[in-house]
Amino acid sequence: MNDRQPNALMLQHNRQRRKISDKIWRALFLISCVLSALMIVLIIIFIAVKGIRVFLPGYEYGQQNFWDFLTGMTWRQDSKTYGVGFIVINTFTTAAFAALLSFPVATLTALFIVKIAPERLRVAFTTVIELLAAIPSVVYGVFASGAITKLVQQLAAFFGQTSAAGISALSVILLLAIMIFPTICSMAIVAIQAVGKSLEWGSLALGASQTQTNFKVVLSAAKSGIFAGLVLGLGRAFGEATAVTMVAGNAMSGPSWNLFDTTRTLTTTMLSGMHETSGLDYDIRFSAGLVLMAVILLTNALIHLIKRKIGGVDHE
Amino acid sequence: MNLLADKKIKRSQEPMASAATPDLDPGSQTAEAADRYMSRGSGPVARARTQVAAGLKPAAGLPDLKPMFEVQDLNLYYSKFQALKHINLTIPAHQVTAFIGPSGCGKSTLLRCFNRMNDLLEEVRIDGRILMDGRDLRGPQTDVVELRTKVGMVFQQPNPFPMSIFDNVAYGLRCQGIKDRVYLRQVVETSLKKAALYDEVKDELDKNATKLSGGQQQRLCIARAIALQPQVILMDEPTSALDPIATLKIEELMNDLKKEYTIVIVTHSMQQAARISDKTAFFLLGEVVEFDDTVTMFNNPSDKRTEDYISGRFG
Repeated sequence: MNDRQPNALMLQHNRQRRKISDKIWRALFLISCVLSALMIVLIIIFIAVKGIRVFLPGYEYGQQNFWDFLTGMTWRQDSKTYGVGFIVINTFTTAAFAALLSFPVATLTALFIVKIAPERLRVAFTTVIELLAAIPSVVYGVFASGAITKLVQQLAAFFGQTSAAGISALSVILLLAIMIFPTICSMAIVAIQAVGKSLEWGSLALGASQTQTNFKVVLSAAKSGIFAGLVLGLGRAFGEATAVTMVAGNAMSGPSWNLFDTTRTLTTTMLSGMHETSGLDYDIRFSAGLVLMAVILLTNALIHLIKRKIGGVDHE
Repeated sequence: MNLLADKKIKRSQEPMASAATPDLDPGSQTAEAADRYMSRGSGPVARARTQVAAGLKPAAGLPDLKPMFEVQDLNLYYSKFQALKHINLTIPAHQVTAFIGPSGCGKSTLLRCFNRMNDLLEEVRIDGRILMDGRDLRGPQTDVVELRTKVGMVFQQPNPFPMSIFDNVAYGLRCQGIKDRVYLRQVVETSLKKAALYDEVKDELDKNATKLSGGQQQRLCIARAIALQPQVILMDEPTSALDPIATLKIEELMNDLKKEYTIVIVTHSMQQAARISDKTAFFLLGEVVEFDDTVTMFNNPSDKRTEDYISGRFG
């Protein structure tokens, strides 16, 4: 027999070893998965425990009424009145308006970049959008308090309104619209790129124009991914604290439907002055965090519902 | 009632019989055709049919049919590579013409010239002419979008849009600006019937088309093309992604469809070409080696290379 022939015993040994290594790797994957899931669970539990504590009897700084907290329209440290109702409304409206501004522009930009722009422009635009996504939020905040507020102040003057030097809901909306733009746009780019050439050709071969093809087939096929981008963008809008705090103005009551008034969102409430306070004023911020998580979860659920409604025949 | 008439013809004319004896029995065939076309309107093809029915002989070389496409000395280059070399051939109307040949020999490329899908590819250069109704397809008077409504196409991979079955079939018409719901519904229904899909999907026209089986999807794509009432349907290996039963259904369908439409099909399967086509063109390295009646081609090829390919010596 040829001595280069692999011997049977060795082969069997190798097979055994491969089986064991398979098992080890599988365990490693599982562990990393469990770890990341555990983080989320731990965070939720922590926030929930801390946040609920103030509503329980025996809370050392005086038990709060949960219902008053949820529906209250005033948030004042001096009088220890903590109502989150108007803050939720503010959070929701600023994020929603920001998405309303950003979403169509981002989607059309993505469509342009992927389907229409010539090669060079495409590369340039993609780089710009990646850069936008990489800018730290505090930089956006500085920009907003330096530039956007000025613009808003002039706008307010133009409409005969007063604004606190441009610190206002409108500034928050514009800032958030800019901040979530790269998120939505880059997700939309990926989604549109993933639409097969065959669908596009199929449409063109039926005598559809390029524009009809883009809107009716490409966008509709990319719907899932585009909506995923919207969800991420909204998540960012809800969750952005630093930059928003710099232009929001921490209104003490509301909601005000005047866009030139100052506002207060859940994140600004949690962030501003967190380190200079203690007791109830400190603990109640965890309750606000709990509400923020609930708002985000509810919004995601809502968007999925809308997606299913208008998607109708989306490919799952 | 039109459908009924079609059924009768189908029974009286088996595909091979009609291909084998086009000269023997032109009368009944063309009279039927003329009937259909009178009811359908007056295109140039319809006029030709009527002429034939009236006993006028059309151009020689095409025993009983007006040409749909006349390809004249067509050359096509992908950047430097010449994919089609001096193609001259005439696709007869209301016949199934098959393009066969090994991979990369230019069959699909030529097919895409008929609805100008090659326009979408970069670095394609074409010279020569393709006449449809006597007009150059690539000439300034030809509007691409309009051309594609007259020359439909079915692709290798079924490519239904991710929308409902109904919306898929109505798509082409809606793109033309037709909104009348009642009319759309009628067209969708007849198109699905002609594509032999209606019975399978009539209760779920709102279902997502991507949920259909591969064979159903391909018939949907055919229905989608038919909805525009084209003159020609181009098929680029329409069954290569399908199982044998789905393939058989599509082949049967083509036999029905050729009564109303001119069909040009690219196929890798010589058996398929033999089963369904009236005319066959054999391609090799960008040239048309032989173009003849399918029966002649498969029984008595005049070129050695054709014979080698057909008998399976290469390809």
